[in-house]
Amino acid sequence: MITEIGNLFLSISATLSLCMFSIIFLKKFIDVDLRYAFCKNLSFIVLSLIFLSFSFLVYAFLIDDFSLRYVASNSNISLENIYKFSAVWGAHEGSILLWVLILSLWSACIPLFSGKIPKRIVIDMISIMGVLLLFFLVFILFSSNPFDRIFPIPLNGKDLNPLLQDPGLIIHPPLLYIGYVGTSVPFVFAVAVLIDGHIETEWISWLRKWVISSWVFLTIGISLGSWWAYHELGWGGWWFWDPVENASFMPWLAITALLHSLIVSEKRGIFISWSILLSILTFSLSLLGTFLVRSGILVSVHAFANDPERGLYILIFLSLIIGSSLILYFSRSSKLIFYREYSVTSKEFILLINNLFLTITTFAILLGTLYPLITSSLDLGKISVGAPYFNFIFSALMLPVVFLMAPAVYSNWSKTNYNSLSKKLGKILFYSLVIAYVWMNFYYKSDIFIVYLGISLALFTIISSTIKMFQIFDNTFEKNYFKTLLSIPSSIIANSLAHIGIGVLIIGVTVSTYYSSQKEIIMVKGSEILIKDTKIKFVDVEGKLSSNYTSQMGIFDAYKNDKYVISFFPEKRTYNIQKNVMTEAAIDSRLMRDIYIALGENIADDSWVVRIYYKPFIQLLWYGVGLMILGGFFGIFSRTNSVNNN
Amino acid sequence: MRYKLAVIPIPVFLIILYFLYSGLNKDPTLIPSPLIGKSVPEFSSTTLIDNKIITNQNMLGKSYILNVWGSWCYGCSLEHNFLIDIYNTDTIEIYGLNYKDSRENAIEWLRSKGNPYKKIIFDSDGDIAIDFGVYGAPETFLINENGIIIHKHVGPIDNKYFNDVLLPKIKK
Repeated sequence: MITEIGNLFLSISATLSLCMFSIIFLKKFIDVDLRYAFCKNLSFIVLSLIFLSFSFLVYAFLIDDFSLRYVASNSNISLENIYKFSAVWGAHEGSILLWVLILSLWSACIPLFSGKIPKRIVIDMISIMGVLLLFFLVFILFSSNPFDRIFPIPLNGKDLNPLLQDPGLIIHPPLLYIGYVGTSVPFVFAVAVLIDGHIETEWISWLRKWVISSWVFLTIGISLGSWWAYHELGWGGWWFWDPVENASFMPWLAITALLHSLIVSEKRGIFISWSILLSILTFSLSLLGTFLVRSGILVSVHAFANDPERGLYILIFLSLIIGSSLILYFSRSSKLIFYREYSVTSKEFILLINNLFLTITTFAILLGTLYPLITSSLDLGKISVGAPYFNFIFSALMLPVVFLMAPAVYSNWSKTNYNSLSKKLGKILFYSLVIAYVWMNFYYKSDIFIVYLGISLALFTIISSTIKMFQIFDNTFEKNYFKTLLSIPSSIIANSLAHIGIGVLIIGVTVSTYYSSQKEIIMVKGSEILIKDTKIKFVDVEGKLSSNYTSQMGIFDAYKNDKYVISFFPEKRTYNIQKNVMTEAAIDSRLMRDIYIALGENIADDSWVVRIYYKPFIQLLWYGVGLMILGGFFGIFSRTNSVNNN
Repeated sequence: MRYKLAVIPIPVFLIILYFLYSGLNKDPTLIPSPLIGKSVPEFSSTTLIDNKIITNQNMLGKSYILNVWGSWCYGCSLEHNFLIDIYNTDTIEIYGLNYKDSRENAIEWLRSKGNPYKKIIFDSDGDIAIDFGVYGAPETFLINENGIIIHKHVGPIDNKYFNDVLLPKIKK
């Protein structure tokens, strides 16, 4: 029953999406209001239908309906309910259904929050959403159907991949997809504007909110994935430059560039053609990411089931959509080019450099990710480039971007007085260099140049952005501090918080990368070991039982200056069905450091291999990301734009 | 002038598309390696189980198979039983390159599935694998007694592949 209804709803949605798309060709025949009402209602109906079929799939998982092949291969009776729920998007078919659900959600949001966008543009946007929906729905129905049956019906399922049985993985894919798929909104806007050949400032303010929203979700999604890797994979790392990670990071870089170029487009009316191109680029990279993950042409640590045929289908769609929008861009974009003079000390120019570097970085990562494909098709053999390439190229290209954050915030539109700018920022830069120098030499007794550079630039950004945020206190006569605080424009809070976040993140990354300690040793029960300032005592190992795994749990006590601090309980789990062994590291996180203990092999009766990491300031990485996201929320809710319009 | 610039994205996109398409058509498991006929790259690492130093020098003298694997890798579990068969029949020695893995997971994996390897090079960050041009696990290299790479295969190997392709080359 579930199969039939699920399939029926998906087929109806596909038909309705086709109707949505066809509206774009009926301009001359049907009146605007009617077309608008038609599109709007269709987008709601499609959303409801896809939501219902998604719910049926969830229901099938919850009641253990193993007559569905997808449920049988990704769930199990003994799986906890929350993981039965998240198993829905644990593999290919369900992920794509989730993708479509979110796409239909975004498309239904367009008419709901269309603001001052004229109806004719909204109609075109929804129509183009219709063709995107149509493609993915057809894809689901013909090659990735989660409602396919299996016969004979197995008594029990094969269980969810144990790697995915983690709280972080419950919400990571949906949030990442919301951001990923959210890039479709700027894309359909770009195409609609190119078709219309006309744009207004108000529309750009509107678009900027959408871009910030998907930027926020993308940031949350990527960082949750990273957090999951840190806690679950047991390698102590948080970023591996894996093709799948790069697939989500490239759209993030592109959308970050878009975010900044839209500021210029909104305030100065230039870079509009460039912003349109970036919107297309961002969505193309999202589609490319989907293709890379789903086609299996690049081998990834993320073990997904792959299928070249599915890859070909996505590739054909990708080339049709991106190809036609680029041709449209080529033929129409000249109408959207506007000139206005600006000097090399202007905000426009600094943001132009920012965009240039972000775009180059995106392509450098794209090149690294596709490198094995390029060399193989040029018959140079398949060569992969690894983390060293990415780390080098990324930090080299990002340093100028970070350095320019402060000047970008402090400079004026059109032209800035160079002397006053350098006087203001020179002092801050000097202090940052001194603080970084003192900190490194006296605290870490180290003089690695790249660390020094990273920390000083991070401090430069943090200090200058903080001062900028509270600058309002300099010229106010208001005695009430609280009132003054509330009067800081939210757009300034947004960019200051986001930039401070980047600075904090850089400090976390550099310090934890260069000053970590790692010990991999054999410990006997009752023995102790000193790592940095903390003494770790290995107390015991106990057996533990759960519904779908058995586990051996180590008990470790930490002492600092002979005072008890905390106990660690790292586990080694054996999952009953897939017989996989998983390391569950135990982590104690403090502001100054993380201690990370993973239980290894039992060598003799009482001696075990134990891995201990001491990672200074790695928490700053997550705090930095948190600040960026908070900044993003302020950006979504900032009121400055409507003030400008009045 | 500006108008003409707008054409640039189209050829860029077409070039990328070409590479994506060619990647799709080529079986990702049939990969010629530029290293064939050349010496094994120099490396120095530790062995997985007993944590002793191992370099490319240690492996000279006899022809052998180098198998790249990881406990996270599904394809590796597919070929594992066959590797055990080779080990039992004593046809050729197998060295392992443990790729992007954690020591404890790797050892536990071998404990539950059996260990066909003479020695295993531990390469947690994948640096040695990059020198070998490793593209993903599992990969199998055939290397002769002088340390020259004779053959490379990407993806799981099975009895048929071993008898049809590898065995004739070993006997040469």
